[in-house]
Amino acid sequence: MLPMKIIKILSSTIITLSLIIFLNTSWNFGAPIPPLGKFLDPFHGFWQNAETEKVTDKNLAIAGLTEKVTIVYDSTLIPHIFANNDHDLYLAQGYVTAQHRLWQMEFQTHAAAGRLSEIVGEAALDYDRGQRRTGMVWGAENSLKIMHEDPKMKQAVGAYTEGVNQYIKSLNYEQLPLEYKLLGYQPEPWTELKVGLFLMNMAKTLNSDENDFEMTNALKTFGKETLDLLFPDREAVSDPIVDNIGGWKFKPVTFDSIPLSNGVEFVSTKPLEKQPKGIGSNNWAVSGKKTATGSPILCSDPHLGLTMPSIWYAIHLNAPGVNVMGASFPGAPTVIIGFNDSIAWGPTNAQRDLVDWYKITFKDKTKNEYLSDGQWRQSIKVIEKFKINGKPDFFDTITFTHHGPVTFDRSYHGDTQKNHYAYRWIAHDGGNILRTFYEFNRGKNHTDYMSALDHYYFPAQNFAFASVAGDIAIRVQGKYPIRRKDEGKFVLDGSKTSTEWKAFIPFDQNVMIKNPERGFVSSTNQYPVDSTYPYYVHSNNWENYRNRRINRVLSGLSNITPQQMMALQNDNYNIQAEEYIPLLLEDMKTAQLNDEEKKVIELLHNWNFENNATGTASSYFEAWVTELQKAIWDEMEDAKVSLPFPSDHTTWWLLKNKPELSFYDHQKTPEKEDRKAIIKIAFHKAIEQVGKWEKNHNKKADWALFKDSYIRHLLRIEPLGIHAINGGNSNTLNASRGSWGPSWRMVVSLEKSGVKAWGVYPGGQSGNPGSTHYDDFIKRWEDAKPFPLKFKPSPESMATSTFFTATLTPTAK
Amino acid sequence: MKLLLQFIATLIVCFILQTFLPWWSMAFGAIAVSYWYGNKGFQAFIVGFLAIGLLWFGVAFYIDVSTHSILTEKVNKLLPLNSFLITTLVGGLVGGMASLTGALLKAK
Repeated sequence: MLPMKIIKILSSTIITLSLIIFLNTSWNFGAPIPPLGKFLDPFHGFWQNAETEKVTDKNLAIAGLTEKVTIVYDSTLIPHIFANNDHDLYLAQGYVTAQHRLWQMEFQTHAAAGRLSEIVGEAALDYDRGQRRTGMVWGAENSLKIMHEDPKMKQAVGAYTEGVNQYIKSLNYEQLPLEYKLLGYQPEPWTELKVGLFLMNMAKTLNSDENDFEMTNALKTFGKETLDLLFPDREAVSDPIVDNIGGWKFKPVTFDSIPLSNGVEFVSTKPLEKQPKGIGSNNWAVSGKKTATGSPILCSDPHLGLTMPSIWYAIHLNAPGVNVMGASFPGAPTVIIGFNDSIAWGPTNAQRDLVDWYKITFKDKTKNEYLSDGQWRQSIKVIEKFKINGKPDFFDTITFTHHGPVTFDRSYHGDTQKNHYAYRWIAHDGGNILRTFYEFNRGKNHTDYMSALDHYYFPAQNFAFASVAGDIAIRVQGKYPIRRKDEGKFVLDGSKTSTEWKAFIPFDQNVMIKNPERGFVSSTNQYPVDSTYPYYVHSNNWENYRNRRINRVLSGLSNITPQQMMALQNDNYNIQAEEYIPLLLEDMKTAQLNDEEKKVIELLHNWNFENNATGTASSYFEAWVTELQKAIWDEMEDAKVSLPFPSDHTTWWLLKNKPELSFYDHQKTPEKEDRKAIIKIAFHKAIEQVGKWEKNHNKKADWALFKDSYIRHLLRIEPLGIHAINGGNSNTLNASRGSWGPSWRMVVSLEKSGVKAWGVYPGGQSGNPGSTHYDDFIKRWEDAKPFPLKFKPSPESMATSTFFTATLTPTAK
Repeated sequence: MKLLLQFIATLIVCFILQTFLPWWSMAFGAIAVSYWYGNKGFQAFIVGFLAIGLLWFGVAFYIDVSTHSILTEKVNKLLPLNSFLITTLVGGLVGGMASLTGALLKAK
């Protein structure tokens, strides 16, 4: 028998070692727990991520640089990179971006690649499979191939990747971003493919929206006539981006018409999660004729998912031949929305129907062959491996047809062996889109802008432009398949090649205009062009309000100042309310109301239609309209298959012009409701809803609080997110709604004496929650007071606004 | 006296070790110091617990003050316990167990 002493020593040693091992390991007891010893250790753990505000100049030796690079940071932590050649410029861009945003860069490209399960576990598996099954990685690979054929882009993407990797190599545990420590994992090397993946994320957000399954079901449920009433190709509203009646002088490409859809049968497959309704953007450029300085002003304001860290990283890039500043993607070289000494540009989303679903007929269960024009064609199978945190690997076989990957089959969202749908998406084709931004960054004039756009395939955007030379322009640019009427609205028959995309609208026939008579160009995400444009234009969602507001205000202004433009970006005037309120109040006139209800009616009657942060009228209005739409379209809500919902504007148009519509009747009640009845029912529900909110929160339902602009952390960790106080809604120019909204507000005055610019995004340059620069832009964003951007030609001229300087030198060979 | 010496030595040795090595290096420092002084098992545990607890608390506190609690406030909402408390406890527990082991090794 062992002596007592040995037993004591052994047990104490074993307990100590087990404790260390336990505290050095990540666990998952329902919720993931970081390796606690490692995480809490104040010498290396999370404490080290807290940054002091004091900074000193730095000298860093970086492998791969050819010459010295000087990076001046201003007080907002925006880096101003001064390099001697393109290679060093993009290497430094990769390095500094990673320094501030590495975790985000990796997380977002993991999301694009369908690899979130590796980090967060099985909960993300369905999402990950969806990503791979919609060809996200395939598209990124195709884009990378095309970028590699262009020596300039090959160099830029290569150098950027090298820069990110140099930063990753320099890291030890102490310096790892907080999120890695929290989740207990390490960054992997950055790759050029990740640049492509990042761009696919943008393509997905901006250019993948569709409702083909829902529309197919609606066609079967309601018939074509009702469908055309509820979902008109062109709503009777909106100023198009380009109104050039009779001015389209080219000869369009045409095809024979095709029959509509494949016999029309229900689609029981559950569609993928949709992008939220009402995302979009504003941009405009006013000519010098209308401004106080006589120089054009360009305003850009893309509305995207608002996250911490932000989708944008502000940067100034300077090297021989290029001096450009603006917002960049944390994950790709170049400035994406910005300005240089001569031009400025800014996009809004120009989505049309860029997605089709083809129903595939396989020969048998092996899915090795599928029908195409009476022939059996060979499919390609790809086995995808999914690593899952805390679980064994998962394998998924994806079948590719010539249309694209078969996203839905029995193993994914399907219910029977019969329903297979292949996905055709513009972003599968790949493209050298960074080349567009590379050329914008160096652009001098309208000609350069036009030739830069010839490289741009997707995600389709309305690019506004202004130059110091005095030109303004807008061009709707993307690769748009030429559609025949109604083509692509519904699920297509994948066994007939006649239904496939045959050609794209030639780029010089895309919608565009330069220096229009009215003295400004503008776009939101509205129907792009007048009715004489010779191509069929279709999308499941057009913007109907913001475009009219911009044009109404700009038409009435002269001697415009940049400050007026900043105010217009933050404008809360709601044309939707202007249209709905009189109609709603008219029908309430005869209703029996109690005192509280009378007060609300009075409040709405006196409302100026501004969705300002304070005041409760907009809260009642938005709740009322939401309840009303639910009541009218309960047929869609309660259906057994997925159905689409008509737009806010079409709903209003129908209420106004079709007072007898059968949809007003509530399906679940025995009574027959008419328009007046449901407006009243919705009103009561809205009052109830707002009242409940006020009771729960124990305060007045001021609009900003009621809607809650929540800028959430990418991991949805509550304490790392920010609740901003902001007015607006998706139908106002200040399109701030929930977790979506104005993501980069930029105003550029293109003065001959020097370009002046302002910009702000909700967030901060640093992705580190332990930095004061994590969220220091939020207040400015709430107040619509963008920072003046320090755009100087050399490190020396930056002197007065220098926060600190980092000098990067090549490592000794 | 020997207890105080063990306390001070653990603080100093582990501070130096942790500055350069991963967090668990302090366990080996605590074992060695405890072995050197050879205090009684339970007393050695308490001294080790207090020394590492104080070391971790002290460094964390210094960081917190010099960064105006910018991160502490956020992390406090993430952890089930206050981050100072849990940091002190985790460091202390490992330090204490290591010191106990050192003392037992020495004990006759």
